[in-house]
Amino acid sequence: MPLDVALRIPEEFKQFVHEENILGKESWSIDLGGANETFFTQLFGYLFNSLTVIGANDDARDYQFDALIEPTIDGFEFSVPNQSKTETFAVWIRYRLRVYDREGTNASNWTVSAYGKSQKEGLSGSSALQRAALLAMRDAAALIIMQLDRATQISALANGGLATPKPESAVADARDEPAAIPDESGIFVIGGINDDAE
Amino acid sequence: MTQNKLLPEVRSSLLFATLALCLTGCVTTRVEDARVNTTGLNEGESVVIMAKSYHQGNKTESEYVSCLENALGRGSKGLRVIPSQQFVDSLFPWFEPRTAPAETKGLTKLMDRPGVADAVEEMGVRYIVWLDGDTERVAQGGSLSCAAGPGGGGCFGFAWWQNDADYEASVWDLDGFESAGTVSADVSGTSFLPALVVPIPLIARTQTAACKGLADQLRAFIVQTT
Repeated sequence: MPLDVALRIPEEFKQFVHEENILGKESWSIDLGGANETFFTQLFGYLFNSLTVIGANDDARDYQFDALIEPTIDGFEFSVPNQSKTETFAVWIRYRLRVYDREGTNASNWTVSAYGKSQKEGLSGSSALQRAALLAMRDAAALIIMQLDRATQISALANGGLATPKPESAVADARDEPAAIPDESGIFVIGGINDDAE
Repeated sequence: MTQNKLLPEVRSSLLFATLALCLTGCVTTRVEDARVNTTGLNEGESVVIMAKSYHQGNKTESEYVSCLENALGRGSKGLRVIPSQQFVDSLFPWFEPRTAPAETKGLTKLMDRPGVADAVEEMGVRYIVWLDGDTERVAQGGSLSCAAGPGGGGCFGFAWWQNDADYEASVWDLDGFESAGTVSADVSGTSFLPALVVPIPLIARTQTAACKGLADQLRAFIVQTT
């Protein structure tokens, strides 16, 4: 996309760790922080003309950009074979992308719900859970590539264009495993992906 | 004299084969194909094996995909197989579980997307094989108990279980963007575990049999020797 974008990574996003005790049996600690930062930096670096990563406490007015994106994690959930009574680990990640124009006006809020599932391998299951989390992040990346402009109208912010703030968040939801709804192109469409978005 | 020297080796080989035979459970295999179009594989063309998306309820195990990739590529008649992860990464985001095409009619439009046709051509992919199915335990029974004490330990009893491996491979021909047909493997295996002090596992390699059976039939289907 022909846009100069700034990416602001909040501190809590950079250091996101999900800890959970399941039925008093197992304790899980999942550190997504570093992976998330790398993920969004690479993804937006690929999507836009230029990308400037700015610190959480930096003043955005010191930088030149068409749009500023601030990702956060709204929710993280997972299930293990004991819970789902299957041989799979599943991970749900709900990202929120806040898009601002160069004046600092919030142009859009977009919730991206991603899902990943992996077969249990070995005894510990940690590698399968890691794989499920990775698949969820890839799922989010696929959604963002295909839907970002349609959901946020970020391209309208090029060259100082101001976006109209949206009253409601755009939601692309893959929280549950929805049924396949093939669109006319045959691309497997779930969670609101619309092939005409490009 | 030579015969006498060889005899112990032959004997031990026979003993090993008999033991191996005894130490496996019973497996029945049925492999079928249904051809829709003619196939064939030219020099430099390759095949990619993919599991259907879990969004469609598919549960094909990743180790089964790897087994099939290895089995198809092995031997003098082995096909050129592109690892599925390499294929998916090269074509990101078009073959992710969420975005992968569900039917051949979307292939033409998919190939028109920037970089897709080039990546496919670079890897020489002629066929995409979509796997559906899994291996499941369908029945089990018996009882087995083990005990240990200061003087030693042991097990007594008998247990058995039956696994069914049902897989179907849909072959998509990228030369014409149409389905070439399907190959399926239905394998049922019963394993036994009798124990009289020492447990003796007689394991039925159901998934391995399904992998080998499907690979052999798939190879024949693609190069069209059937």
